[in-house]
Amino acid sequence: MSDLDRQIEQLKKCEPLKESEVKALCLKAMEILVEESNVQRVDAPVTGECASRTWHYEAICLYVLETSFTQRAQYNMFWCIFIVVEEDPICGDIHGQFYDMKELFKVGGDCPKTNYLFLGDFVDRGFYSVETFLLLLALKVRYPDRITLIRGNHESRQITQVKVYGFYDECLRKYGSVNVWRYCTDIFDYLSLSALIENKIFSVHGGLSPTISTLDQIRIIDRKQEVPHDGAMCDLLWSDPEDIVDGWGLSPRGAGYLFGGCVVTSFNHANNIDYICRAHQLVMEGYKWMFNSQIVTVWSAPNYCYRCGNVAAILELDENLNKQFRVFEAAPQESRGAPAKKPAPDYFL
Amino acid sequence: MAVEVDDNDLKAAGAELLTEGRRGIRIHGWEVHSRNCSILTSSTLELWEEKLQTSHLPEMIFGDSCLVLKHIKSGTKIHFNAFDALLGWKQEALPPVEVPAAEKWKFRSKPSQQVILDYDYTFTTPYRGSETIEINATKHEREGVSEGTYNLQWEDCKEKIDVATLAPKEPILFYDEVILYEDELADNGVSLLTVKVRVMPSSWFLLLRFWLRVDGVLMRIRDTRMHCIFGDNANPTILRESCWRESTFQSLSAKGYPSDSAAYSDPSTISERLPIVMHKSEVLKVPGNF
Repeated sequence: MSDLDRQIEQLKKCEPLKESEVKALCLKAMEILVEESNVQRVDAPVTGECASRTWHYEAICLYVLETSFTQRAQYNMFWCIFIVVEEDPICGDIHGQFYDMKELFKVGGDCPKTNYLFLGDFVDRGFYSVETFLLLLALKVRYPDRITLIRGNHESRQITQVKVYGFYDECLRKYGSVNVWRYCTDIFDYLSLSALIENKIFSVHGGLSPTISTLDQIRIIDRKQEVPHDGAMCDLLWSDPEDIVDGWGLSPRGAGYLFGGCVVTSFNHANNIDYICRAHQLVMEGYKWMFNSQIVTVWSAPNYCYRCGNVAAILELDENLNKQFRVFEAAPQESRGAPAKKPAPDYFL
Repeated sequence: MAVEVDDNDLKAAGAELLTEGRRGIRIHGWEVHSRNCSILTSSTLELWEEKLQTSHLPEMIFGDSCLVLKHIKSGTKIHFNAFDALLGWKQEALPPVEVPAAEKWKFRSKPSQQVILDYDYTFTTPYRGSETIEINATKHEREGVSEGTYNLQWEDCKEKIDVATLAPKEPILFYDEVILYEDELADNGVSLLTVKVRVMPSSWFLLLRFWLRVDGVLMRIRDTRMHCIFGDNANPTILRESCWRESTFQSLSAKGYPSDSAAYSDPSTISERLPIVMHKSEVLKVPGNF
């Protein structure tokens, strides 16, 4: 078993890696992520028609290593036709809810057997941001083509520092120093900003920007930086669809865009896409369509903050982009391994 | 959040915990009941938007959660719920507060068709609790204000809640905390309305707190405390003390306090630093005969 596989197994048990391992993992991840486009292409899975769906990924990898170059070329064909991934789920916010993410994998299937696209906000709020993000990152390094991670507004130095139960505090508590937080936030800068599935579904964490009307305009953003306070990159990670505006709305905070149905219609039309899939906003039912099915919000953190009682969802797509929402609940209390939040009676005044 | 209580303590106080899955306690003619539920479903949320005539409500509304303190004999009911609190927010309608990033945004070129929304996104509420008298005390309390209920009158007074009687020398027979609503202001801080209650052998005490922190801009605490000492079981008296505090980050840092938001995650430890902007004491004499 390689070091990486061992680390993945360890992380699956919600045990964090050593600081030196995190550093090495982040360096490897950086090499992979730097190659990705701001609009990362994701292919929908191809389904096979024979018993080969029982082939395990590892077994196939072994097969590849043991075959000659010519055979490998044949194998590549085989790969295209038969590697079985029934559906290709898109996942919304996770927010450090590690045990709930394990529920997500139960519902969607294991990576790498299933392709995954995660829409950001891996950290903050939950108790296991470190393990959650590192597991996703380790899977990314191990199976770069099978899992896509894009950036959410919480993948930022500033946000992770000010949050209660934030990623910064958690790193400090679990490692006694902020080094791991530094390695991870440096990696955040390399995460892609959006994904495009089969040229038909545009996926992004927040939403649209008034300075962006074509995908090419996203492709030319220099993303390797902290999330800025304004501009196109900020909007993609922060903005929200809004019923009551038709065009653009400025939040009463004086920063932050809201976009209406017309904006979505013209963006989808100009880029020849079917719909936009985004996350960023809590939805009690796990997902919510807006503007005549031109945009959908997917939320993947059940019982958000361990108290909202909401269900979560992932969106599964097959090779024809047929979609199915899979709704799931939070992991049962006894499987969490952590004490439930039970404050003692408090002589408050 | 239910906590184990010593049976002997309950017996000695003449109290009993509520049964049938209801959380609460019956003591000295009072029934204290709390309920913690999930956030509103999308369809109920739409209903609330209609009723409150707004399209912007907090991200997390625990609309079915509540704390109810009922004086059984008179039908007097003090209760706390998110809907009434949001009615208060809607009526007060404070002007919006700009976040620090707004300065930069002023220099952005404006898209055509831009509207500027101007509701109070901080969800600041003057809510200090709801109170009614249910003539027909058997009516279920979820129905809230309806025919046959009367509003009670609080009278200004000079008395203050006697903190010494609330010192930790008595056991807590019942304790709970109920979140009514919460919003992270799109990651610009926190807006949180909660109510905590503790029932001891000699009194019940509660704290309703609205806590707001707009990162880098301002903090606001609106506390309402109620205290009822068990004595005259037929005509109890409730003392209510409200204390509103507010400060900008700028004025805190001028006083030498830290100005980063991370230093202000727990309102109870920093409330003393915020100057008082409103304070008042009131009393409610629960009518014995109805």
